[in-house]
This record gives sequence, C-alpha cells and structure tokens, in this order.
Amino acid sequence: MSAALIQHLPFFTKHAPFDRMQREHLLWMLQRLQLAYYAKGEVIASPKQGAANRFFVIKQGLVRGSRLAKVPQDAVLELHEGECFPVGALLAHRAVTSEYRADEDAFCFELSAPHFLELIELSVVFKDFCTRRIAALFEQSTQAMQAQLSQTSSEQQPLSSTLASIIRSAPVTCLPDTTIRCALQTMQDAHLGSMIVADAAKRPLGIFTLRDLLQRVTLAGLSLELPISGVMSSQPVSLPPTALAYEAAMVMAREGFRHVLVTEADGTLRGIVSERDLFSLQRVGLRQLSTSLRQAGSVAELIALSRDIRELTLNMMAQGVAAEQITQLISTLNDLLSSRIIELECMNAGLQQPGSCQTEICWLALGSEGRLEQTFYTDQDNGIIFSVAQGETADTMRQRLLPLARRINEALDRCGFPLCKGNIMASNPQWCLSREEWQKTFSNWIDHGSPEDLLNASIFFDFRSLYGNATFAAALRTWLNKKVSTTPRFLHQMAANALRNRPPLGLVRDFVVDQQHTLDIKLNGTTPFVDAARILGLASGSSATGTVQRLRDIAKAQHNNNVAEIEGWIEAFHFLQTLRLLHQYECSRRGDDMNNQINPGRLNDLNRRILKEAFRQSRKMQSRLAMEYNL
Amino acid sequence: MISKLLTRLKRAAPSLTGQQQSRLDHIKPKISTSSSARLATDRIVVVDVETSGLSLADDHLIAIGAIGIHGGRIALADSFDLLLRQQVASDKANILVHGIGGTAQRNGLPPEEALLAFLEFLDGAPLLAFHSAFDETMLRKACKKFLGFDFRHAWADLACLLPELFPQHAKKCHALDDWLARFAIHNDERHNALADAIATAQLGLMALRGAQMKGLESFTALQDMEKAQRWLSAARY
Repeated sequence: MSAALIQHLPFFTKHAPFDRMQREHLLWMLQRLQLAYYAKGEVIASPKQGAANRFFVIKQGLVRGSRLAKVPQDAVLELHEGECFPVGALLAHRAVTSEYRADEDAFCFELSAPHFLELIELSVVFKDFCTRRIAALFEQSTQAMQAQLSQTSSEQQPLSSTLASIIRSAPVTCLPDTTIRCALQTMQDAHLGSMIVADAAKRPLGIFTLRDLLQRVTLAGLSLELPISGVMSSQPVSLPPTALAYEAAMVMAREGFRHVLVTEADGTLRGIVSERDLFSLQRVGLRQLSTSLRQAGSVAELIALSRDIRELTLNMMAQGVAAEQITQLISTLNDLLSSRIIELECMNAGLQQPGSCQTEICWLALGSEGRLEQTFYTDQDNGIIFSVAQGETADTMRQRLLPLARRINEALDRCGFPLCKGNIMASNPQWCLSREEWQKTFSNWIDHGSPEDLLNASIFFDFRSLYGNATFAAALRTWLNKKVSTTPRFLHQMAANALRNRPPLGLVRDFVVDQQHTLDIKLNGTTPFVDAARILGLASGSSATGTVQRLRDIAKAQHNNNVAEIEGWIEAFHFLQTLRLLHQYECSRRGDDMNNQINPGRLNDLNRRILKEAFRQSRKMQSRLAMEYNL
Repeated sequence: MISKLLTRLKRAAPSLTGQQQSRLDHIKPKISTSSSARLATDRIVVVDVETSGLSLADDHLIAIGAIGIHGGRIALADSFDLLLRQQVASDKANILVHGIGGTAQRNGLPPEEALLAFLEFLDGAPLLAFHSAFDETMLRKACKKFLGFDFRHAWADLACLLPELFPQHAKKCHALDDWLARFAIHNDERHNALADAIATAQLGLMALRGAQMKGLESFTALQDMEKAQRWLSAARY
C-alpha cells in the first residue's frame, strides 16, 4: 500500500459518500485516483467534450457549473471542497449538461470513467450515492440528526444524561424576607409550582411549593404578609450539574421529593429539576393523549393537553421520527384538539340538540393545517361552510355563528395557535359563508386573478373539513376542480405568481441570505414546493390537499413519466421540512421564540450540501412549472 | 603514492552484493542529465528529502519522499516513501524537525537498498523539487557513498520557476511554506518527506500548467527557463 494513499484518507473520510464506504473500496479508489490542478477560469468539463470521461471530487477550490441556458441566474451551481461531479453524465455515458469551470484555483481528485463504473459495482454505498443522490444523502443526514438528537432525547437515554443538559431555563428565586404573598404572585405570574428561596449570592436556602401552601399556610391560618423563610422547606437537596439524571431520580424516589436543586461547586444555584422533567415522556403516551383530548371537559383542560402535544411531538423529533410523520402527527393531534374545542363551544353556545353543529356547519382547516403540514409553530387559518336552514337567510345564520366562531378562535389561541394576523379565521364574516357564497367567492378569484385573489387562493384552496358536515367540503372541492379546469388562465396566473419566489441559490456565494446571514426556510424553502404542487395538483384534478400526496397524484396521473423526478422533489420537500422542524425544535430547547430563519453557514457540511441540492430540486420543479405554462 | 591513494579509494568504495550491483547496472543507463520528457504527456517525479541538518557537507540523508506526475496529473498510487537506516540517530533538535525518532531511524532500510529502490522508482523520469540543489546534493552524496554511483540527473527547481511563472507573488513568496500558504495548499504533515513531496507536487502542477500556458512543452525548456531566471537574478544583484 502506497503511503501517499493513506495520507489522503482523512480527506475522504470527512466527506460523503466516502465517509461511509468500506475502507477497502476507498483504498481501491485511491489507488486509481489522480490529482489535477485547474487554474482560475479553466474549463474542467464541458458538454463540448463528448461523453464524460472523468469523475471529479473537489479537493480544494471552488467550481462553478453553468447550464448553457437562457436565464443565467437560474443556471448556476457552485461546488465546494468534497463535492463531486458529474454523476448523471457518467452513469448515462453521455456528455455533461453543464460547463464546469474553476471559479478559483482548484485541485480535483479524478477517477477515470471506467474506474468510476467499476467502483459503482464494487461499493453499494457509492452506488447508492450516485443513483439516489439526494435520497441517499438525506438518509445519511437523518441518521446523523438522530444520533445528535438522541443524545438530548430524554427517552432513549432517559437517565444517563447530565442534569446540566436537562435544566431548561434560569430558575426563579426570591430572598428569604420576601412575603408569602409576593412569592405566590411571582409563582402565579411565571406559572411556577415551586419557588426557590436563595440568599443575595444566589445560594439556595430552601424551597416552597404549592403543596406547602395548603398545609403550612392556608390550613395553619398564617398571614400572607409573613416572610417566606418561615414556611419553606430548608436545606433542600442539591446535586452538581455533572450529576446524572439517574441520581436525581434516585434522590426523588428515596426522599419523596418532587424537585432537586442543581448547584455549582461554590453553592450557587444553577437550576431546578422536577420529577416531570425526568419522566415527562413516559407519562404522556400518544394513545393516552388522544383519549384525553377526546374526553376533555373544558378548554382549560385542553390548554394543558396542548402542552403535552408539543412535548410529545418534540420528543418524537428527538427520536428522529421523519418529518412527514411528525407533521402528520402534529396535525392529527391538533385536529383532535380543535374538534374538541369546537364541540365544547357548540355545547356552550346552546347548540345542544344532537348533532346540530355536525350537520349544519363544516369547520374548514386552511393553509398548512389544511395540508396536514403543521410544524411546531403554526397560527390558525380556518373558515366555516354552513347550510342555510329553512326560514333563515345566509346573513342571519352568519350572525348566529360568528360569536361562536369567535369563542372557538380565542380558545384555539389559548391553546397555542395564535390568532391569524391576516384575520383568515371563521370569526371573520368574510370567511363564514354558505356553500353558495363560497362558490361565488372562489369564482371571483378564479375569474379575476388579481394578486390578492391569487394569494387567497393559495391559502383557501388547501381547505379540508376538520369538523362537522364533511360533505360540504367534498362538494366544494368537486365544484372547485371543475371550475379550475374550465378556466385555464387561472392556473397560468397562479404559476406565474409562484415563479416569482425563486429558490435562494446564489450567483456569488452558495445561498442568498439576508443581512443576518439567514434565509427563510418556509418562504424560500418549502413554499415553492407547496405552491407548485398546488398548481400541478389542481391541474391534474387531484383532490388531495397535502403537498406530498398532491405530488404522488401528479406522478400517477402522468403514467410514471416523471416518477423519478417527482420522487426527487418529494425528498427535497421532506428535507426542508425536517430542517424547519429541527430549527424550531432547537429554538424551543433554547427557550427562544420559534421562527423559520436558518443560517446555512451554521449547518454541518452534509446538511448544507443537501440544502443546496434541495434548492436545485426546487429549481427543477419550477422549470417544469414554467414549461407546462409557457412562462 | 598513487597506489596509496588507490587503496584508500578502494577501502572507501561501498560493498554491494552481486544482486545489488546488477540492479544498479540495470538502472544506470536511464539516469541522464538531459531529459526528453514532454510536459503534457510524460512522467516527472517530485522529490523531497529529510536530512540530519542543513549542512550540505556534514549532514546526511534520513528519508526520501517522491510522487509521480503523469501528463499534468499527480497519480496517488505512484509514490515513494522510505527511511534510510542510520548508524547513529540524528540529534534531538533535528528529530524535532522531521519527527523521525531514533528508533525509526535505526529501523529504516539499509541505505543501499533504499537508494536502489529510489532509482528504480525514478525509472529515468526527470526530477522536480523545491530548492532542488539541496535535494540533489544530498542524494548525490548518498549515492556516491553507498552505491559508488555518481547520480547526475535532470533536475528543475521550483524555487526558481515559481517566481518566474507567478511574478505577482514573487516578492512575498520565498520559502516553500510561503508558496503553499499563498495557494492555500494544506499540508498537515510538514517535514514528512512524502507529505512535503505531495504538497510540492501540487505546486509542480501549477508550475507545469503555467509553463504550458507560456508555450513551454518540454522539460528541457523548463530547465532553460530556470537557467535564464538564475542568470537574471544574479545580474540583478
């Protein structure tokens, strides 16, 4: 074995797919590799050179591939250290479709075409990478995310993590001379079940819990103006941040405590760990949660359960459950929650006669909820279809329903679905309509196609029945598909509109980012897929509302013509959703507000590469859309 | 007097085994100060040596690293990396430079074997190095001492060629490390003979590309450019 080969191993073990290849296959490849230099501006591979004859792996430098296409910024692709090209051309024994140039001085490892084809037969990992590209990378990334997350997941290694990793936020403390009233007020404001009493140097002196309130204050008839130090449990048990969750659980079990303090070596308080922190996941199971949701007797109960939904889904995320399942799970649980809220409010509103809510109205889920693509953070988008009862008009029905809808919207808000800023809610008279009125509204949008109409269509046309009489929604869907097919101009306008949102692939650098170096993974990432799927779905007569289901329907309608291409889009969409969920998950772990702004520079190499590939898929999908509608 | 001298020479002459001698005889015809190599197609070998110090007169060879460039591309499999067995390990300060410890030095290949293997690896290809005079002198001294062979071969010096081919960097780049840093060529194992040879070979690729863009086609033309550059810089001072 030549020593020069061994010296290059570390480079290859740093980059996919080589990092997963068997060592003997890697050495087989190294044995046949050459290292070439390309000066800035020099052509590395070009469509004019005939069938591709080398496989390139960039050792250092920047390579730019440009399609010899009309729209320049649509056709550029930047490749960095560790990336390889061309794959499709070598597999198909054809010329490359892009011209690859060194954008700065570059060194590339090169493998001849025959050796490349031999390696594909030799190494399953390499073959997988070359033939499944994004899917294979995505799988690898998912596994990496799982590995990373399982270290923080409390279920997989529930008791072997350190207390430092479990503590959520800075503890709330009060001084020993604080009055009981003042301490209780603080607990009330911060929704705390316990209060730590600490001295000025933040050294804990005692702990006071709501259970102590009953026994030591209320039943003892003490004044709330007394200092808290008189009623606290002094000398609370504490453990160092390096202690394991296991030790805390042991202390709790042995001493019957519900809390353990975490203190630094100098005695200052670092945080508090509750029994709930340690056993939260085990306490809340999916089946149990859905039963509780169905049987909840009040909105207050549902508010508590909505926290369990979030906790459960975040934990599922931590265990590496795929994005598609997570978004469906979130949507399913949110459906149950919303249904129960509607049911309870209908009952409160005096619509008790059996099933009146179920037969007279249909509560519509719109937008991401309609598509079953909710993430951890989603505001509400909803509407109502009602049938006009005998002796009533649409307006009188509406006046009757609006206060109810308002209460439902407000209850949803308290359950963690913020009111829609654009007021796309059932309590808005515009979106609480009879079947005829909905058709009239949709007709207007389709016939006029103003920018606002198109925007509305992109939210409302993903409608789905969430509660009540589902036949209203089904009938509206059938009517809509027919209407759209008779107005071709409308989809053309929708397509033109969707194409204004281009994937943020940069000309100069990898990605187009804002001043904070971030890009919006929803707006720039998933939305182009959602939009294109909606248009192509409507065009193919699909009645699905979910993006992936729409894409699968399209593939079916085209008789397997572009199945591989469409699978690529689906993989890309899943990856972007995963990245979005992961980002939200991390925001939540840090205690930050959830948003969709991700910084590609902070992603690991693999995810950055897939992100780029996902945007390329997005671009392909947009080209397809442009072609279909001659744009 | 003359016979005395002859005996001294005879005593100093190395004792090769019959097999070693025939290997040497076999390779000798390929060693030549003039090379007919074409830059675009033929093999050129980049070499780097590690020594017990920087003195051409007193220090000796410890390791040889080399790698082949074929038609403008480094072939990873075409590499050479050998340690020469030492009677006495070099001193501590020197060991710190190349990281080849005393035991490793004493465990290397017998110098005759290592040098023969190098000449066979070379297979007559012209040599490229950074500050080639140093590598050349060290190799020649060792070949003389252990093989009794005057290793005169075709060399070109990157230290001379790079400033000529990349004049925009000439003012700031002098040492090998300057050029490597200039072109962001990573070398995690500086002063490992092979790692240095590979890094040097990357500079070699750049130089060869630059030379070809200037219309140079043969190794001889490269040597001519080097001579002109030496003459010019001598004239400049």
